[in-house]
Amino acid sequence: MEILDIKDLSFTYPTAKSPTLNNITFSVQEGEFIALCGATGSGKSTLLRLLKPQLSPLGEVSGNITFRGEPLSDCPAADIGFVMQSPEQQIVTDKVWHELAFGLENMGVPQPQMARRTAEMASYFGIEDKFDKSISELSGGQKQLINLAAVMVTEPKLLILDEPTAQLDPITATDLINTVKKLNRDLSLTVIIAEHRLEEVIPLCDKLLVIENGAVAAFGTPRDVLRTLYSHKDIMCGMPAAARISAMLGEPECALTVREGRELVRSYGNEQQPDTPRKADDNAAPALSFTNVYFRYERSSPDALRGLTFEVRTGEIFCVLGGNGSGKSTALMCASGILRAYAGSISVFGKKIKDYKNQSLYNESLALLPQDVQTVFLRNTVREELEDAGVEPDVLPFDLAPHLNKHPYDLSGGEQQLTALAKVLALKPKLLLLDEPTKGLDGASKRNISSLLRTLADSGMTIVTVTHDVEFAAGCADRCALFFRGEIVSVAPPEEFFSENSFYTTAASRITRGHFRKAVTAERTAELCRLNGRKVGAQ
Amino acid sequence: MRGFTELNPAVIAVYYICAVGIAMFCMHPVIITLSLLGSIMLFIALGKRNSVKLHLSFLLLFAVLALINPIWYHNGVTVLFVVNDSPITLEALIYGVCAAAMMISVLYRFRTFTMIMTADKLMYVFGKLSPKASLILSMALRYVPLMRRQTGKIRSTQKALGIYRGDNIADTLKGEVRIFSVMATWALENGIITADSMDARGYGSHRRTSFSLFRFTLPDGVFLVLCIVLSTVNISALALGGIDFTFYPAMSGISLSPLACAAYASYGLLSFMPAALEWKEAVRWKYLISKI
Repeated sequence: MEILDIKDLSFTYPTAKSPTLNNITFSVQEGEFIALCGATGSGKSTLLRLLKPQLSPLGEVSGNITFRGEPLSDCPAADIGFVMQSPEQQIVTDKVWHELAFGLENMGVPQPQMARRTAEMASYFGIEDKFDKSISELSGGQKQLINLAAVMVTEPKLLILDEPTAQLDPITATDLINTVKKLNRDLSLTVIIAEHRLEEVIPLCDKLLVIENGAVAAFGTPRDVLRTLYSHKDIMCGMPAAARISAMLGEPECALTVREGRELVRSYGNEQQPDTPRKADDNAAPALSFTNVYFRYERSSPDALRGLTFEVRTGEIFCVLGGNGSGKSTALMCASGILRAYAGSISVFGKKIKDYKNQSLYNESLALLPQDVQTVFLRNTVREELEDAGVEPDVLPFDLAPHLNKHPYDLSGGEQQLTALAKVLALKPKLLLLDEPTKGLDGASKRNISSLLRTLADSGMTIVTVTHDVEFAAGCADRCALFFRGEIVSVAPPEEFFSENSFYTTAASRITRGHFRKAVTAERTAELCRLNGRKVGAQ
Repeated sequence: MRGFTELNPAVIAVYYICAVGIAMFCMHPVIITLSLLGSIMLFIALGKRNSVKLHLSFLLLFAVLALINPIWYHNGVTVLFVVNDSPITLEALIYGVCAAAMMISVLYRFRTFTMIMTADKLMYVFGKLSPKASLILSMALRYVPLMRRQTGKIRSTQKALGIYRGDNIADTLKGEVRIFSVMATWALENGIITADSMDARGYGSHRRTSFSLFRFTLPDGVFLVLCIVLSTVNISALALGGIDFTFYPAMSGISLSPLACAAYASYGLLSFMPAALEWKEAVRWKYLISKI
């Protein structure tokens, strides 16, 4: 049965000259799981908000949206659930139980029914033990789960999610996506999800809707859609590794999962596997070195860093990977002097951090870009921000000109990252510390950041970045380190690092395992496939 | 029946209003003694450890309050002794002791009140009075720590950027002003998202109900009725002049009329009920554990 039907939908914001959405037409069957993708600024969020009457932006709308056979505007709030990006700001109240009940309170549901429905939701989502807790005690992933549960409590017929995992780490993100899939399967709930993390979503979805410049670029099963998008580099770069390899090789059938990718790669020969040239200089002087560093947040808490020892060489990109709470970010805070280690020593360019007096550490030697880049901005426009930092917009290695008069908070995640980076670069740091620079970014922005870091490193800057994003690390690092329980347990160049790990590794590495040595990125895999050619006898 | 602390928060609130209200408006030695003993016993029954310091400080406060009155007021017919040509009278001393006992008993009551009424119980009581106020309170309770955390984050980011924090006070001050102004922007920005989220979940579309984890059961009802009946006896005794007590110029005797006795008994019951309930629970647990 058709649940949602959209015909010739166009939308123009009041101040915009051209329409944001142009003649969008598609329909959704009940129980379908639809993934929506498109570059930042392509109109994804606008489209999703137009599907939820309570959140529809003001502007000129034309066309028809029918929901369950009736005009969408008549639909009560409870029938369409909407989960937004930020886990923190969507939450209204201070307690988990109150948050779960909030939607029901708004509907005027009597107390006994509320008790039953909140109890039901809490046990379905496995959050019974959190029921009495304050929201502030929860992690980001748990908060997002509460947001999902709080929406589900009113029994919506359609669930819309706008980049729900952008602020989460990969493991909790996968959990959340699987929970959404479970809802879709168990309750035959119709789901429309906009996501950047397509590696997990594409194999799960029934249909893929691609939006480009406000128009439907493609709509259909993911395999068919991807097949038609092989030449769209900006869209393909966020797709699963298997699909990217298929696209680069121009395969007639697009592979989606790791298993299909493996079958594809194995149909190619593996006789020639030349080593990639090493980029980094092994004998460069250390830029940052930790020797037996111990740190704890409180006297009674356990050590967050225990005997951390490592060295970052001048001019390299050093990626630190590891689970949540393993101490990665703490190590960066210690290196930047915000936190003080209680034992061991930290040196920056051969000089102990304690010997840098009065801010001299931050003058032309070290800069830290935190995870939440919004905390970098203090002014009302990007132009003022850059003036404060003393940057000329035209000397930057990237273009901020179109955004100079906007408020920094109005920029997209990728643009905010670049603006913050511009501000940091003005300090002319020789050592740049980055905390999760790719969090919440789409494929194209990630690629931009990655190539920008490479440019900076080539000009002599040393870069240490903490990240959860294995694909990003594999693509741009000179060396990768695995953090576990407050120390570094292994350090190696990415080709070795990811080909030796079997779980903490990239999809491309899983695809090529046992066939190609040290192929950890889709690009490298495609290159090796092309070099070896198809096996004789393979179709 | 459950212990006093597990009763419905609204019932607990009513109890405190009755017990404290009567103690405050009824300057009668018997009532005040009962109130003081009852409040101390509840405090002890709640079993808070390391409270010796609190008891000592209350005792000191009691002594000071009790002595202030006879030193400043010299009314009364029974002169005990004369200091610096000022008579110290028995009536003023007794009045001081009674007033001090009343204040200390109220302080003990407040102490136990804050121990029993946690934030969510208070919220529930507010919610009974006004659902909107309780929602606002709940949102505020969430936003204040959130803003404090964000300010901390911004401050440490800016420190590591080293742009605004110079070595002189003027730069630091300028930085702080900027942080304050950006926090206002941040709060508004996030407020929009929260408002969207509220709209998306149908806020304002119907008449709101208010959900709570607390239920109103038979023991709550029994306790509430007892509270009201006992207080009514006291209030009527007070209104009919059955438990009047005058201190000046000479103390009236403690009335033993049937009405007065009923008032003493009912206030005594009211005052000791919570402690008794708590003790009963403690004893029951002990018994259950010894059986297990």
